[in-house]
Amino acid sequence: MTALLTEPTAVASAQPAQPPRKRRVRADHRAVTVSAWVAVVVFGGFALLPVYWLLSTSLTPRTEVFSYPPRLFPSEISFDAYLALANNPALFGYLRNSIIVSVITAVLSVIVSAYMGYAFSKFRYRGRRSLMYFVLASQMFPQALLLITLYSVFAAYGLLNSYAALVLSFTTFTLPLCVWMLKGFFDTIPDELIEAALVDGASRMRIIHSIVLPLAAPGLIAAGLFAFVRGWNDFIFALTLAGPDKQTLPPGLVNTFIGEASTAWPELMAASLVVSLPVAIAFIALQRYLVGGMTAGAVKG
Amino acid sequence: MTQVLSSSQKATSHRPRRLSDGMFALLLTAPGLALLAAVVVYPLVTALITAFYKQSLVEPGREFVGFDNIVDVLSGDFFTLLSQTIVFTLGTTIAPFVIGFGLALALNTKIRGAKVLRGLMLVPWLIPGVVVSFLWMWIFNANYGVMNALLESVGLIDAPQAWLADPTTAMVAVIVAKTWQSFPWMMVMLLAGLQTVPPELHEAAEIDGAGTVRRFFSITVPQMSGIIGLVLLLEFIWNFQHFDIIYVLTGGGPAGSTETFATAVYETAFDGFDLGKAGALGLLWMVLLMGLVVVYVRFSEKGEKR
Repeated sequence: MTALLTEPTAVASAQPAQPPRKRRVRADHRAVTVSAWVAVVVFGGFALLPVYWLLSTSLTPRTEVFSYPPRLFPSEISFDAYLALANNPALFGYLRNSIIVSVITAVLSVIVSAYMGYAFSKFRYRGRRSLMYFVLASQMFPQALLLITLYSVFAAYGLLNSYAALVLSFTTFTLPLCVWMLKGFFDTIPDELIEAALVDGASRMRIIHSIVLPLAAPGLIAAGLFAFVRGWNDFIFALTLAGPDKQTLPPGLVNTFIGEASTAWPELMAASLVVSLPVAIAFIALQRYLVGGMTAGAVKG
Repeated sequence: MTQVLSSSQKATSHRPRRLSDGMFALLLTAPGLALLAAVVVYPLVTALITAFYKQSLVEPGREFVGFDNIVDVLSGDFFTLLSQTIVFTLGTTIAPFVIGFGLALALNTKIRGAKVLRGLMLVPWLIPGVVVSFLWMWIFNANYGVMNALLESVGLIDAPQAWLADPTTAMVAVIVAKTWQSFPWMMVMLLAGLQTVPPELHEAAEIDGAGTVRRFFSITVPQMSGIIGLVLLLEFIWNFQHFDIIYVLTGGGPAGSTETFATAVYETAFDGFDLGKAGALGLLWMVLLMGLVVVYVRFSEKGEKR
């Protein structure tokens, strides 16, 4: 798979044009640079000022937050909000749930989608295409709608308010992306390798476990991280299917902070930053596969 | 990507097997298919069937009522929901596209620090949806919000606004928050698309005297039509069913002004306990979505066959 996030293939140095056009071309280039900077400043401001506000509010003393107009820089840096989080045992409960659910989701999702992706990549059989597009289309069904009966299904099996309900749901919703991404990785493994192993008498299962999966290790890690993030970020399923003792951080934070008479903004912003960190780390680790995986899952194999 | 065909058949003919390759492959897909059946297909079908029943989330039993629920929904708030959903979806598709494309173009030039900036611009995308809602709830806060302070200081408003409590501004606020979260994805996809445009085309056109704007519309846009269509379509489908940011930021309020199909179906089922009505609303929603999904799969197949 081509990693598309890499530097643009060095835009081959434009051949100097003939003398009469030279000046126009240069003016044109300057206009391009200027408008590029305008776009970067305007849109970049929109992108990053809220992030600054998130960070700055989390470091503002609680009393100072409730003043208008707000101070762009807090008069003093205060870590009270972070300390308050550390002293809130309920939050640690949500954190534990988030970690358990997301890690199991990641592992399960990699296992299920590796077999499925391999079956889509290296075998040809009737119905393969239909299955592939069924998997792809499954992410298009609205979750709010699925939930209205999924809730009763899990209730019937006694799975409401359990990690299992969350893990099973999250794993299913990671399949389209992970399966298509891993199919892309398996496609790059030469068939000759598999044929040679078959000739040597290796079983098909053995080939998967000893040859294919080790070669696709980076893909497996990427898929696992995607699945982890999916579980970590989910809101609607954890809100609906789990009670307070099994809820993950996103609904946990809503329950803790939203709807109180006066929201503790510095604490909420501090908690928000803490929740965002694992995702940011996962994405930095993923950067190489980001676009490849996204386009693979979205467009093609 | 290379499509490798039939090599496995060739190899398998050497030795007898208990299972054909096709069966083996289907077996490999079984766990995934079982999950999809249990978590997507079965709930979806049963949810759509409840559209024809009077059924409560909290009481057992149900009663067949035919098209009553659907008639109810259609004569009720369906068209308000439809127009609000379309406003939200269009807003959160077009605005991130414009911002994402603008940034992609800007960061595809040789300006200094383009690489670092490309990374920085991704930050909003790395933030979980719930956190996006918290952050914009704070920014749009009526009493202490920084948005009021900013707009007042540049003279765009005279007095602080209650953005999220005013039906006319709440939708704008929700769209802004969602746009902030989605434009980086647009940027990444469009940057990737820009890098597939052969530089030779631009060089040739430049030598022929075509200006930047001309080259953008005559080379860049046509060359990228595939990826542009794809990102717009995907973003539209996703936003058509978006839930998190709306639900946390406004809960569909004030006065239902930011209610979309997603929040309405959810609230009808889990606050109103009316599964029949939720199912009916969902059925109509699905019909609209399916049209989009069919277009998307067609689109993907075209990509796969290439």
